[in-house]
Amino acid sequence: MNDKEFAALAAHVHDARKPLNRISMQAELVKMALDGSVPPDRAKQALDKIIISTKDCSEALTQMMDALGDSQSES
Amino acid sequence: MLTVLLVDDDPEFTDVACTIIEFLGHEVLTAANLEEARDWLKKESFDHILLDFMLPDGSGVHLFDELDALGKRPRVTLITGHPSVRGIIKGLCGPNIDYLVKPIQREEIEAVLSGKTEVQSQSSGSNIKKYFGHLIGESKPMKELYKLIERVSRTSANVMLLGESGVGKEVVAEAIHAASDVEGPYIATNCGAFSKELIGSELFGHEKGAFTGAVGRKSGVFEQAENGTLFLDEITEMPIDMQPNLLRVLENKVVIRVGGTKTIPVNCRVVSATNRTMEAIAESKVLREDIYFRLAVFPITIPPLRERKEDIPLLATAFIDELNRENETQFSWKEGQLETLKEYDWPGNVRELRHFVHRAAIMSDPDKSALELPKTIESPFAKKQSTTPALQAGRTIEDVEKELIYATLEKVNGNKTLAAEMLGISTKTLYNRLHAYGDLSKDD
Repeated sequence: MNDKEFAALAAHVHDARKPLNRISMQAELVKMALDGSVPPDRAKQALDKIIISTKDCSEALTQMMDALGDSQSES
Repeated sequence: MLTVLLVDDDPEFTDVACTIIEFLGHEVLTAANLEEARDWLKKESFDHILLDFMLPDGSGVHLFDELDALGKRPRVTLITGHPSVRGIIKGLCGPNIDYLVKPIQREEIEAVLSGKTEVQSQSSGSNIKKYFGHLIGESKPMKELYKLIERVSRTSANVMLLGESGVGKEVVAEAIHAASDVEGPYIATNCGAFSKELIGSELFGHEKGAFTGAVGRKSGVFEQAENGTLFLDEITEMPIDMQPNLLRVLENKVVIRVGGTKTIPVNCRVVSATNRTMEAIAESKVLREDIYFRLAVFPITIPPLRERKEDIPLLATAFIDELNRENETQFSWKEGQLETLKEYDWPGNVRELRHFVHRAAIMSDPDKSALELPKTIESPFAKKQSTTPALQAGRTIEDVEKELIYATLEKVNGNKTLAAEMLGISTKTLYNRLHAYGDLSKDD
């Protein structure tokens, strides 16, 4: 893997980590809702957002595969 | 309650993080890039900044210079996406910065805001217990140490940490902070690292224009550690003529900034450290007696690594786990290797061991789990400890003789009969010599 490919991979990993970070924080919010610290409807919103984020993450991984596949076939 | 500035370009993340930080009882403002962050810094004063490393208009590190120029420098926690960035930033920004690695958990935010960092991450592979979140070791001397830390953490007494170089004085200071139920942060500074002119400003802060180069107001470490713990490393390296100023702060619990007139009340536990022994401190007059008694209300001596060799495998394993996490490697020790490590005396203590483990990890093949040890464990500093200073021309015979006698006595733990035998002199002669050095009283 050359520097350029590595940079591209790092960018993809960054994109995939962003939804993971969202998921982690939203999950903390759900935990707080279960304790009664925040209203239950926030928990429901948070869970919806978690589901969206998992799709985003999956999408980011697919894009990464595509991009890497392209660079493989080029070389 | 703290005023926190959260700088991150992901609105969904900042939104949830705000809810959580507010729930933790703090006030929080957000910025999506460096420009917005700069705007806030002009308008508001913050206690803590949570700063994303990668922002649309540049790296969060760019904000550091501006933070330095502020009257009250906020604590900074950098949020990074990748664990390896942590090592790089640590080199850039020094030890007073905390890190959060994405994805972040609530406990981690809680820990950095309260200044109690290094929560054991749940995903960590090892099950080595870290006492007070910092200390590793199950040996008897360490258990004693834990007991002392627990006792002193319940009080607000100032602690002086004594111990050889590399035993982990700063880690113990952090452990004391973690064990204490205090709201304020942990602030560390090294008294040996500042020139005579600058140490006053570092400790007590300065007003704008107090001296050439004092472009802004700056709070000193005593102010920064409000309601928390202040760690003063290498206290015995502090210039002796600065010590009266320190004494005044310790006695009156107020500081006056350099170039200022207003007294500012301060309240923090001072943990100081030195690698000199108590006797050496008294003899060499590097620390005023009155200061010593203020700082060493509760002195704690940290044992050297050679006195707790059974902890070496635990420490070596903990270090390699840490390196594995940082570099995504899978190294592990073999039983025989740990035995080899245990045989060495580690004159540089835990620091030397950590350095050695790090070097071994670099030298080993990252795709395998086996660690390669160099054939011998050597340190350029080891010789200094193990042998007596080389003979120099011009020293008197008496001097050399005295040194030889004391070195021999040390070797045999003060057994005079044995020492005399080794030296090839009679016990009576040995006693006579010791009398002459003033080391024995008449009836001894």
